[in-house]
Amino acid sequence: MGLTPSAADLTPTDAELAGVSPNFLTTTLDALTNWGRANSLWPMPFGTACCAIEFMATAAGRFDVARFGMERMSFSPRQADLLICAGRLPFKLAPIIRRIWDQMPQPKWSISMGACASSGGIFDTYAMVQGIDTIIPVDVYVPGCPPRPEGLIYGVTMLQKKIRGETMVDPTLRRETEVDARGFYLPPEKIDVLSEPFGNSVHQTRSA
Amino acid sequence: MTAATALQAAFGSAIVRSAVSCGDLIVWVERDRAHDILAWLRDTAGQEYNYLTDITAVDYRDPERPLEVVYQLRSLARKADLRVKIALDKLGPLEVESVYDLWKGADWLEREVFDMFGVTFRGHPDLRRILMWDTYAEGHPLRKDFPLRGHFTRAEQTRQALAANPEAHYSIEELTIAEAFGELPEDVRRRLAHGERGRVK
Repeated sequence: MGLTPSAADLTPTDAELAGVSPNFLTTTLDALTNWGRANSLWPMPFGTACCAIEFMATAAGRFDVARFGMERMSFSPRQADLLICAGRLPFKLAPIIRRIWDQMPQPKWSISMGACASSGGIFDTYAMVQGIDTIIPVDVYVPGCPPRPEGLIYGVTMLQKKIRGETMVDPTLRRETEVDARGFYLPPEKIDVLSEPFGNSVHQTRSA
Repeated sequence: MTAATALQAAFGSAIVRSAVSCGDLIVWVERDRAHDILAWLRDTAGQEYNYLTDITAVDYRDPERPLEVVYQLRSLARKADLRVKIALDKLGPLEVESVYDLWKGADWLEREVFDMFGVTFRGHPDLRRILMWDTYAEGHPLRKDFPLRGHFTRAEQTRQALAANPEAHYSIEELTIAEAFGELPEDVRRRLAHGERGRVK
């Protein structure tokens, strides 16, 4: 008696199949769609700083983000559905990330990776966007400076959880958030509040 | 004879003073003679400072101290370094002679000093901002009177940034490939002429 079952053991007999109907399963369309979307995210990497190095480590063999369905890095926004901003974003790059976000087709999500992308980090200066949420909508913020690959993977699984909770009948989810006539994506008061100095950076006024 | 004494002998009172800091020779020169002095340093046998490492500027926190434009020179043959400084009174015009005619590499270096400190370089062929975008209206960020977070509100900065047209940069003219086209090697020229950027010349 070998450990491997023989082909004859695995093949079902006619008698076994007699009472079985053709295979089907019941589910909701939402569950099926969300299952597909959550497990085949194609990320568009927007790496500008050291977070991008951690992002590369996440994509490489040791941490292997392909395990979560992110098999293919999409270097074209038109074939991507997840924008990962890995690193600080200067004002000079703001129109570029905005353009990339506008070029991505729905459904799309974004991850703000690291302290600088999420809040400006230590760079509370004239040149730096204080959080990319003043430029594009953000789904998941990953803290860290830079976050370890485990942190980014946790952020990705959180995003997958969020996607699984979506429903196709909610029209607000797929609404494009475009820059308005005044040139703002968020109201200016809100941008000022989001960009307020916090933590150590409130003490950085000596040379102001 | 060191560069300092040679300069004293050749230019006299145009050499304001000289000092050695951390083993580096620093020479302060008159603004109006700076171009002649730099040309002399480049061309005179025994000096031959033929490589312009960097041009930068310093704005000191002390408001009494002048703003300094710094030229870092190197003689590739003699393996010697020299730092030449021009002190500019902040009340007067912040203007010096361009050294683009001496070192072509001064092009972007002078643009950076202009962008960050607002020093204008007379005779520069294309003096405009290089780090900040062309329409940047807040001033010159590395000046000490420039607030760390800029003059405008964050909302205004965001609005201006989003209004910028990124396609206005990175054109073939911006990269000056078109100007350098004739000097490129034959095979590069052939590839560029039929590249996706289209025919250049």
